[in-house]
Amino acid sequence: MSHSIAANPSKDGNKRRKVFNKLISYFFLLLLTCVTIVPFLWTVSISLKGQNDVIFSIPPQFIPNTFTLDNFITVWNTLPIPRYLLNTVILTFFGVVLPLILCSFAAYPLARMKFKGMNIIFLLIIATMMIPGEVTMIPVYLVIDKLGLMGTYTGIIITSAITPLGIFLMRQGFQEIPKEIEESAVIDGANVWQIFWKLMFPMVKPMLGVLAILCFISSWNNFLWPLLILDDPNMYPITLGLYQLQGAFSANTRLIAAGALIALLPVIIVFVMFQRYFIEAAYSSSVKG
Amino acid sequence: MYKARHAWGFLAIPLILLSLFTFIPAVAAFVLSFTNYNVFTPIEFLGLENYIKAFQDKSFQKAIVNTFYYWILVTPALVVLPIFVAILVNQKLRGIKVFRLIYYFPVLVSVVITAILWKWMFAKEGIVNYILSFFGVEPFGWLLDTATVMPALAFVTIWQGFGYYMLFYLAALQGVPKDLYEAAELDGANFWKKHLHITIPMIKPMIFFVAVISTMGAFKEFTLMLTMTDGGPLNASTTVVLLVFQEAFQNLDMGYASAISFILFAVILIITLINQRLLDKRD
Repeated sequence: MSHSIAANPSKDGNKRRKVFNKLISYFFLLLLTCVTIVPFLWTVSISLKGQNDVIFSIPPQFIPNTFTLDNFITVWNTLPIPRYLLNTVILTFFGVVLPLILCSFAAYPLARMKFKGMNIIFLLIIATMMIPGEVTMIPVYLVIDKLGLMGTYTGIIITSAITPLGIFLMRQGFQEIPKEIEESAVIDGANVWQIFWKLMFPMVKPMLGVLAILCFISSWNNFLWPLLILDDPNMYPITLGLYQLQGAFSANTRLIAAGALIALLPVIIVFVMFQRYFIEAAYSSSVKG
Repeated sequence: MYKARHAWGFLAIPLILLSLFTFIPAVAAFVLSFTNYNVFTPIEFLGLENYIKAFQDKSFQKAIVNTFYYWILVTPALVVLPIFVAILVNQKLRGIKVFRLIYYFPVLVSVVITAILWKWMFAKEGIVNYILSFFGVEPFGWLLDTATVMPALAFVTIWQGFGYYMLFYLAALQGVPKDLYEAAELDGANFWKKHLHITIPMIKPMIFFVAVISTMGAFKEFTLMLTMTDGGPLNASTTVVLLVFQEAFQNLDMGYASAISFILFAVILIITLINQRLLDKRD
């Protein structure tokens, strides 16, 4: 009897505490959300402002007096934004497809075969993972120059066509496949090339997805190598285009805001579509540490 | 079933590309650091001259101080703040997955766009000054003042990076047995006690890992400075790698730039080795 009397108030207290916890949690969740998205929202606001709206003021004007899509139309028509986007798509396509194939080529024998020199090659790859790209930036630039690839897309694509991290990830993927699978294929008379393409490559799809996401992020956002390699503005990807625009048109904040949002949109779409893989890719990229 | 020629067949193209863009550049960077290579005049060996010059160079000293300052501003925040965020989003609450995605999103934004957004945020009549005006702070140009430019850049880095480390901690938190918390709650432990005595010890390896990764990131950062401030005002935001970039591609003094980047590499290597030592001790 006394048990039930004692239990009730504590249950009540528990419930109250849970509600309180929930409120506190949501308060912080929303606060962090504001900090995260305010820069984006403000950019949206600027991009929708007409010529008569003030951009910078204290207090700021968040809601434009005159909503207009003119900035987007102007940016699209007068600046080479469609061209930049197309360039970025081309660079990103090769920046994703080439590493998927080439890293798999390198990882497959390292994971499934035994041959002389294998350990040395694997050690070399692991060792170079420790050297930051910032250290080798100058010689890589000189190699591209010596190969006559200055001003070309090949020069940009080739620097990231194969990465030690990509080989490392794909090697892990290939190692997980059971041994019997290849053996049965050999009995069926398949050669090594066929075993790779028809059997092994499709089986590492999850890891390919992870690598594809990592390559997409770095290719779409690549800014340094296009800056160093390209000189023809018609070949600029959107990041480099925006970088130059904000220098040239620094007065025209509205247009730059519109351009930045156009550049962001594909990233948002891909992120929402493949959110699971993005999270997985973030975890996987942490293994290199 | 596999023969050596199969292995080399697959490895041929990857090894050629790796040699050209990873192995040879790593060696070449070291060799270049002992030369006067500047694209135009014939290459000459200088011995240790570039390294001696670096340690006497005022702008290199300044860049080192700036880089350490940036590291001190960024890394502790990126180690600690994401723990709280991870605890926050590790709860079973409605819509929690959406919050995780929102916090992670800035990670995917190009540095060029980040720079554009935050230049406007930190403008004299921007949002940051507006918020601070509630606390009685007079508006000023954050990126135009040598005293505030680094804290402002550090804030942007933290804004962009906390969602990334949140994911790491989230993975670690999901490995902590739930009954530990239940037992602590029965003992009447509050939020702080619970996490101080259970969470922190349990996710210690991850805290360590995040400290190392964010340290490396801080020491290598330069594209944010290049796009937001170009190292200014008065070189107050020139980091070591930004100096490498400027010396190599603006002054074309590639030998000297290589020497600087190798000094940085030595620093990063030392940090990695200390890290490995500490990890070995733990095991």
